[in-house]
Amino acid sequence: MKKNFGMVLALILSLSLLLSACGGSNSGNSGNNEGTAPSNEGTTDQGNGSASNDGEKVTLSFWTLFSGGDGDNMQAMIDAFNKEHPNIQIKNTKLEWAEYYTKLITAVGNGNGPDVGISHISRLPDLINQGVVSELDDVADEAGVDWASFNQNILDASIVDGAHYAVPIDTHPFIMYYNKKLLKEAGLLDEDGKPILEQSADGFITFLTTLKEKLPQKVMPFAMSNANDDPFRYWWALYSQLGGNDVVSDDLNSAQIDTDKAVQAAQYIQDLFHKHKVIKLNDPDFYKNFQSGTAAIMMTGVWATGTWESTKDFEFGAMPIPKVFDQEATWGDAHTVILPVTKKDDPAKRKAAITFANWLADNGQVWAKAGHIPSKPSVFEKQEFKDLPYRSDYVSVASTVKFNKPSTKNWQIRDLAMYKYLNEIWANKLSPAEGIAKMSEEVQKVLNE
Amino acid sequence: MNSADFAVFTVKSASHMGRLALMKMNKLRADVQALLFLLPFLVVYFLFTIWPMIKGVEMSFYKWTLIKKMKYVGLGNYERMFQDHDFWASIWHSTIFVIITTPLMIVLAIILALIANRNSRLQRFYRSVFFIPSILSVAVASFLGLFVFQPYTGLVNSMLHLVKLLPDGAEIFWLTETNLAWIAISLLTLWWTVGFNFILYLSAMQDVPDEVYEAARLDGATDAQLFWRITLPLLSPITKTITMLQIIASFKVFMQIYVMTGGGPLDQTRPVIQLIWQTGFRKNDLGYASAMSYMLFAILLVLSGLQYWVNNRKEAN
Repeated sequence: MKKNFGMVLALILSLSLLLSACGGSNSGNSGNNEGTAPSNEGTTDQGNGSASNDGEKVTLSFWTLFSGGDGDNMQAMIDAFNKEHPNIQIKNTKLEWAEYYTKLITAVGNGNGPDVGISHISRLPDLINQGVVSELDDVADEAGVDWASFNQNILDASIVDGAHYAVPIDTHPFIMYYNKKLLKEAGLLDEDGKPILEQSADGFITFLTTLKEKLPQKVMPFAMSNANDDPFRYWWALYSQLGGNDVVSDDLNSAQIDTDKAVQAAQYIQDLFHKHKVIKLNDPDFYKNFQSGTAAIMMTGVWATGTWESTKDFEFGAMPIPKVFDQEATWGDAHTVILPVTKKDDPAKRKAAITFANWLADNGQVWAKAGHIPSKPSVFEKQEFKDLPYRSDYVSVASTVKFNKPSTKNWQIRDLAMYKYLNEIWANKLSPAEGIAKMSEEVQKVLNE
Repeated sequence: MNSADFAVFTVKSASHMGRLALMKMNKLRADVQALLFLLPFLVVYFLFTIWPMIKGVEMSFYKWTLIKKMKYVGLGNYERMFQDHDFWASIWHSTIFVIITTPLMIVLAIILALIANRNSRLQRFYRSVFFIPSILSVAVASFLGLFVFQPYTGLVNSMLHLVKLLPDGAEIFWLTETNLAWIAISLLTLWWTVGFNFILYLSAMQDVPDEVYEAARLDGATDAQLFWRITLPLLSPITKTITMLQIIASFKVFMQIYVMTGGGPLDQTRPVIQLIWQTGFRKNDLGYASAMSYMLFAILLVLSGLQYWVNNRKEAN
């Protein structure tokens, strides 16, 4: 018996070793991704040799962070571009979202970066500061990029110290979705299929409380998470509607929160959770609840449009978030195409890269399939874009997105200071005044480090 | 000694020397062979474990970002650490976790081993069931924890609703209240990792000779006496080992907390490894992150040394 058990033990131990070996190969995988960098370098070298002769093929390596629908749409666009441009070949390397920036920064740092990359517009200042992204005014002039063809609001956020560093291809703002069936049931849907809703602080609350009264008990008026991204975005939107202008000063060195406005916006949202009780607390399934018809409205980024569309028998509408305070404003970010700093700085490749970036912006109707708003207003007039439902209902938002100031610490401020204290306000553990005061201190701390 | 003898002697000694040399050669060849077999491992081990460790010491003396070392700061990172409230708070959170889980882990492992060690038809079943959770990867276990403890649809709250312990419409927010979050994290960790310690205890129990129990039985010892007087004392060597391993492993806790609470609320469940990761890869401050890692290393070294010393002294007495 004892020997027998020894065998079993040995077996189990070797099994667990085997399993942990499998676990280990995960990190091995990410190493593999790193390993693709040299091979990319290899292909780019080939491109290099021939790129000097005009009219010959230029091969560009392109690093992206898109998966799912975004990933498919981007690949489709790359394929179409390669077909249209026999002299330029784009090679797409899809990287894991969470690891993308770390990999990009380290790869560019040791000279193995790609020829073309993607950056969020809010992350751009950091990449510029780290010497990852190159300025592109000269090459854009040479390739005939017409900066005036871009939406000015998005474009402005991509300009740092008066120079262009990125070609924006979209903006993906925070908008509102509504379930048409439920709104109709509550008598809050007009004949055009739009919500009957007065655009004011009280008007929106009346809208939500009416939904609560008229709909069955298991249906919540408003689906939203209790922590991090979405409630933060909503707070940013309302703070901006009140005239708040980011949380850092114009010289980007110190925390500068317009306290009254920040507190008023936070109070409004805290009341939705705790006073009017129109949002389920700590709801882990807020996406699913809206999708399955147990919540009447939802606010999140435009990328959800594609998800709702692919849901069977789901009648929904999309619109800008209601203007409850003084001016139209919402939270938003944007995907941009960047030209990372490279060792060789080959002009032919840079020209090809900017041509590709501009082409992506020109063909935003494909990119819009996932829900994003194209960065060039001319795309809105294309028939293919008009054929996509919902998008035209919220394209106006592109001009009212309140982007971050060009601080190199945008993401750190958001992840380490703002989420932390706003979450406590939503949990009703801090009053809005206390929470904002502490948040302000924490923002300053992040800026000092 | 005549010349013939001398000749014989030299021949003999020469052949002896030759044999010696041959043996040495053989041994050398064996060593070289062994080394060749070990080489693939050693190269990887050196490159990805030893070298980064050495490099980490260097980095901790610099202000070092992801792509370039900025400047030499001497002990600056270490000085900063001693004034950094966040660092000591996170060390404390990891310590809380160690204090909660280590004793519970040992008690639970012994209880499970006792159950599985009894002569019963279900013996094999017990052994597999108790061990199976520990073959899950940390990500799978953590997400299970998330699903079990989340409100509305989580297993725990649903069960409480089912037996009417929790009134309709009320929810317990396990993951967003600091104290409850520690309970949830600890329970998940116990369930997930007790299997390995259970196996160690079980094999130690099986090594206790049956004769000892038989003799005690003949002397009229009760079951409780058998356990407290025989089983437990004979398990003490393995208990020491497990305690040490458990303390070190628990100080390195990260993933299950990161998935279940993200370190919240207000960073009050953030363990030190999460802070190190955030500092290195979110704040892009690898120098300071390295300094914190070495501080954790020093703490663990002191703890291990202390325990080794205590154990040795006990044995000497």
